[in-house]
Parts: sequence; structure tokens; C-alpha cells
Amino acid sequence: MENLSAQPHPDAPLLRPIESPARSFYLIVGILLAIILYTGIVYLRQILFGLGVTGMAQPVTWGFYIINFVFFIGISHAGTLISAILRLSKAEWRRPITRMAEVITAIVLAIGGLHPIIDLGRPDRMLHLFYNGRLQSPLLWDVTSITAYFTASTVYLYIPLIPDIAILRDRGVKPRWLYEFLSWGWQGTERQHKVLERAMNILMVIVIPIAVSVHTIISYIFAMTVQPGWHSTIFGPYFVVGAIFSGIAAILVLMIVFRKIFRLEGYLKHIHFNYLSILLLIMSLIWFYFTFSEYLTGYYGHEPNEMRVFWYKFTGDFAPYFWTMVSCNFFLPVLLLCNRKTRTIPGILIASISVIIGMWLERLIIVVPSLANPRLPYPTGIYIPTHTEWMLFIGGISVFVLGYMIFARFFPVISIWEIEEGRKESAKIVTERISSYMPDIEPSSPGGR
Amino acid sequence: MNKKTIEVLQILSISLIWVLFTGIAVWIVNLIKVSLELHDAPDASVGISIVAIPVFLILASVLTYVFLGLRKGRKEDTETEKSLKPDQP
Amino acid sequence: MKWGMVIDLQKCTGCGECVAACKRENNVAIVEPKESAMGRTMLWMDMLTIYEGEYPRLRVRQIPRPCMHCDHPPCAKVCPVRATYINEEGIVAQIYPQCIGCRYCMAACPYTVKSFNWYKPEWSPGIRNTANPDVSVRPVGVVEKCTFCVHRRQKAKEQAKSEARELREDEYQPACAEGCPTGAIVFGDLENSRHRVNHLAHSPRATRLLEDLGTEPKVVYLKEGD
Repeated sequence: MENLSAQPHPDAPLLRPIESPARSFYLIVGILLAIILYTGIVYLRQILFGLGVTGMAQPVTWGFYIINFVFFIGISHAGTLISAILRLSKAEWRRPITRMAEVITAIVLAIGGLHPIIDLGRPDRMLHLFYNGRLQSPLLWDVTSITAYFTASTVYLYIPLIPDIAILRDRGVKPRWLYEFLSWGWQGTERQHKVLERAMNILMVIVIPIAVSVHTIISYIFAMTVQPGWHSTIFGPYFVVGAIFSGIAAILVLMIVFRKIFRLEGYLKHIHFNYLSILLLIMSLIWFYFTFSEYLTGYYGHEPNEMRVFWYKFTGDFAPYFWTMVSCNFFLPVLLLCNRKTRTIPGILIASISVIIGMWLERLIIVVPSLANPRLPYPTGIYIPTHTEWMLFIGGISVFVLGYMIFARFFPVISIWEIEEGRKESAKIVTERISSYMPDIEPSSPGGR
Repeated sequence: MNKKTIEVLQILSISLIWVLFTGIAVWIVNLIKVSLELHDAPDASVGISIVAIPVFLILASVLTYVFLGLRKGRKEDTETEKSLKPDQP
Repeated sequence: MKWGMVIDLQKCTGCGECVAACKRENNVAIVEPKESAMGRTMLWMDMLTIYEGEYPRLRVRQIPRPCMHCDHPPCAKVCPVRATYINEEGIVAQIYPQCIGCRYCMAACPYTVKSFNWYKPEWSPGIRNTANPDVSVRPVGVVEKCTFCVHRRQKAKEQAKSEARELREDEYQPACAEGCPTGAIVFGDLENSRHRVNHLAHSPRATRLLEDLGTEPKVVYLKEGD
């Protein structure tokens, strides 16, 4: 079988990480596993002693766990949503990007979905949700919509992966049984292609509303209460926009990393970064528009409780975070991405990282200040996360990196068959499509006169 | 691993997906039942289930469709179908 | 039947006996000073201090704050497991063995009345001996709050039942009302015209906390006169 995989393949750079993994792979996996193990011990300690080991108290009863929950689920919007929108709009440049985006969704969603459980005071009573849950509670809406999104996005990741798994199976890559099992007997016949295409069409249509619903519902956790700073009708779309925004930034960072590590310069070209970064720029402007309307309505209305939260963010304890968020999410990316000279790979990388930090801060700024400023005259709450919370945050990120690395170890991060298909058919299809847009030439055109 | 085991595993996995999705549907229906019994906002529960259950059913159906479609579309199968065709009329 | 409380701020001296009585009665855990400084003090009945006006005309007011037992409780609405609910007598109750500790109710309560067991509650041996046997001790990781001393209602009801008569007003009084030295806290059935609360709740001085939120609290405050 070894000689089979030695055959030259037109997309060899995509197969190389799977067929001959680098030694550093195991080293990094080892480091990540060590971090995750330590995080596990830290979490075990939290289970044994109770949530007292965190920095949460009254009135700030929600902290890092809920912030990271919203943040991770937000990142997950990158993937499936972007890839579904690009596929649906027949953007030909999507081909090398979709897979990477979908993988982000599946992994991050699994991590994000666990955060509410980490946050529970009694994780041992989780099952109460099953036999005594109340569908009236926004938390249950979340459980349902996240489950739906997780399954939908895994299916949406898996189905376009089948032909690539078959490629690996046919090349005899080990472990063979895995590819044999997962390829579902794909042989690339016309009928199979038709089935696959139809399934993908159905999926991309249903995945978009599910994705939008997920972050809308996460915003409902906050918006359904009557707390100042949370009770806002704009929260649904505001969260969705923020989610897509942070998601695009995450895809860009990953694309740059993979391009560097797997030497994929031939696949991820400047144009891909250019298009995606323009999308990031647009999202940054939309994000600013939403933030502006959210705070202006609060400020103009001048409701006293609302104003306490407002000033707490603008000039009070949270001012450093608030203004860092505005610079990270708006000023820096807009400055970097507006100018063609700085819209280079390093520039895009800086902008994306800044957006990811900024969006995390946004979640912090939404969750904590409203809790820290209760309506009745209590002393203003303070929240200082402890080692436990930081560790679980770092652990969450490590699980993401590990998950992504394992995926990239066994499956191609760029869809091989879609690239091949693009090479063969795109030009023809696009020419046909363009000619179909163009106004028809009148039958009795100048030639007759 | 031989082909038979893998095939059995594949069928097992697709059935498991159905078990999972039916489980979710049963769970939601159970929650509605409890909310009806306790007069605890049953309307909200019914509203959510109307949206949620079909979504899961569609997902499971799509997966099954692909699974069966790919099996039917295999070369051997289409060849045998073709060889069978002349006998049919 | 709709249990409610009237707190006459004219009579209240802010002595804090209600706070102490509540803590003793309900076995509310005493946390370490370090924890308390973090904001983990557990008080079912709290004493709020409101500063009004500025220096020469500064006025400090003290307001005892139990759970409001809202008729439309925002906490019960959001609970994912039915661990907090409003019972048929209007008491917003918390079921400790049911609570999963998500703290959504705490985030949703506009009055911030709920407490969370961040650690397993511990008592020094001296206090342990004086613990109230009628009130269950909460485990770690659940939310708790004022219950209007619902265990006393249970006891009084059983007593009345065994004597085949109606429950008398003075039979069921929560610890704070019983302990108040100036009689500022009055407790009873808001729907029973023979109960004092029914009369007092309709006083022109009557007001409720954050009335505009539509939570319909069953704790009524009587404003101070001039």
C-alpha cells in the first residue's frame, strides 16, 4: 500500500500532512494534552469544592464561563454560515476556504456547548434538564438550538468530506478501516455526485437559519431579562453580527497559520485573503453601527439604571476594556483594511487577532457590567477571575487547537475534490453564468441596417 | 478489518443517528407533557417543539438519503442494474 | 390566599434584628470574612442603605429587603428545571434538590435577592447546636432565598388542621416579623380583609420596590411621613 501513496497527486501539498505527518505534530499534541490534563485537574477541583474557587460572587454571578460560552459559540458562526453563504451565492473563490471554516464550527461548538455545564453549580444534576426541563426558559431554547446547530454543522462538514475520504481510502492511507468506514462506499459515480449535491443544497439552506437562530437565542438569555443593559430588542441581530464578525477573523487567522505550516501558498492566494478581509471590514462597520445604535438609544433615553451601566462602561471601571474593544473591533481593523498597502497578510493577521480580542472583550462588557450594577442600592459588584477560570479558558483554546490538529492530521483541510471540480468545470460554468447575466443582443441588431 | 464488519458498523452508525434524533424528539414531547400537567406555559413549549422537531428530522433524513443514495449509486450496483434491465420488459 | 408583607419604614429603626432573626431561623450559612469581602455574604433578609441628597441635607435611609415574592416572578420564568416556582399561596419557592445551580434566576432577579452556595456551608460547633431543625440545610452549588419562613406555615397549618379550625393570623409569622422590636414588619394574607396587611397595603403611604417593572411584588413598603 505504501507505494500507492507515493504516487504523485496533483494536490500533493494537501495530502502531505496526512500521509507523512511532521514530527513536531506529536510534540505539540503532547504539550496540548498536558495543558488539557492540567485543566481537567483544575476543573475537578471546582467540582469537589464548588464554584467558590472561581471569582464569581454576588451580584456578578456570571463570569468567564458564560463570557466564553458566548464567545466560542460566536466564533462557531464563522464556519458553517460563511461556507453556506459562499456556496449558495456560487462564489467560486470559496473552494479552498469552506472546509476550514466548517471544521472551526464543529470543534468550537462542541467546546462552547460545554461551557454552560462547566458553569453549573451542580453538574451532577444535569439530567434534570431531560426529565424536568422547562421549554419556557431561554436556556432550554439554547440547548435545543445548539444541539441542532452542532448536528447540522457536523453533517454539513461530513457530507462534502466523503469524496475526499474516498481519495484517501483509494490511496491506501492508514488507518484504512477509518477511511473505509467513513467513505460510505463513495466511488464518484454520476449518481453519487447527484445525491451528494442534492444533500448539500438542502443542508446549506437549512444551516443558515439554524446558525442565525443560535446566536439570536444566546442573546435572548440576556435580552429576556429586565436587567439594564441587557433588555434590548437589538440584541439578537447584534449578537449574530458580532458572531459572524469574530468568526471571519478566526477563519483568517487559521488560513494564515495553515498556509504557513502546510505551505499552502498555491491554494490560499492573496485574493482569498483580500476578499475575506473586505468581508471582515464590512462586518466591522456593521458591528460599529449596531454598537452605536445600542448605546445611543440608551444614552438618549437616559433611564437612570441604564445610565449607571452606561457610565460604568464608558468612564467607570470598565472604561479600559470598553475603549480597547472599540479600538480592536473598529479603529484598528478599519485603518488596516481600508488601505490597500496594509491589507497584506501580516496586516490582515493583526486585524483578525485584534478583532478576536475585541469580540471577547465585547462579551465581557455585555455580561459583567449589567450584573455589577444592580438596580437596588447594593454596593457595585467586583469580578476578578481566578486561576481556575483562566485555566479553563486556556484549556478551552487548547482543546480547539488539538481538535483542529487531529482533524488536519487525518483529513485534508482543503477540499480536494472541490478544487479538482473547480479546475475542470468552474471556468465553463462561470462563463455560461456570465453570459446568462448579460443583456441579450436584439435579433435585428445593427448588422441588419 | 473486513468489508462486512465495516458495513455493519456503517449501518449501525446511521441507526444510532436515528436513535439520537428520535431521542431528542421524545425528550421535547416529554417536556411538553410535563408542562401540560403542571400548567407551566405549555404554549411556549409547543411553539418551540414545532420548530425544533422537524429540524432534527430533516437532518436525519438528509443523512439517510445520502447513505442510501451512495450505496445505490455504487458501480457494482449500477452495473447489475444495467444487466438486469434487458430482462425487465 | 396570598401571603404578603408590609414594612412600615416610619417605624423601622434599621436595627437589623430582622436580618439576624432570619439568619438564625433559616440556618443561613455564615461565610468567612474573606469570602464576605468578595461579595458572597448570604442574607435572605438584607438591610439596604440609601443615601439621599447631598451633604447639608444628606439623608440616610435603611430599608429591610426580603424576597419580594412577586406575582410575576422574573426568576421563576427563566428557571430551566422548575427549581423556582410560585406556589398556589403566592410564595415564590426554591426546590433545593432540583436546582442545577445555573444562576440564571440570580441574573434575572431585578431585586438581587438570591444567594448562591459557592462552597459547602459550614458551621462552627456552637452555632451547629442552635441550628433550626425545621429548615433543611442547603448543599453546595444551589441557589437559595427568603421563603417567607414557609416551614412555619406548614407547622401552623398542621396545628390548625388537627384542631379543625382556620389558620389564625398570628399563628404564621416569619421570623423577621416576629423579631422586629418596633412592629414595623407585618405579615399576613393580602386577600383576607381581616388581616392587618390587607388594610395596610391599601394605605396611601403604600409603595412597592421597582413597581414599574410589572413584577407585582407582595412586599409593600409604607413610606416615611414628613
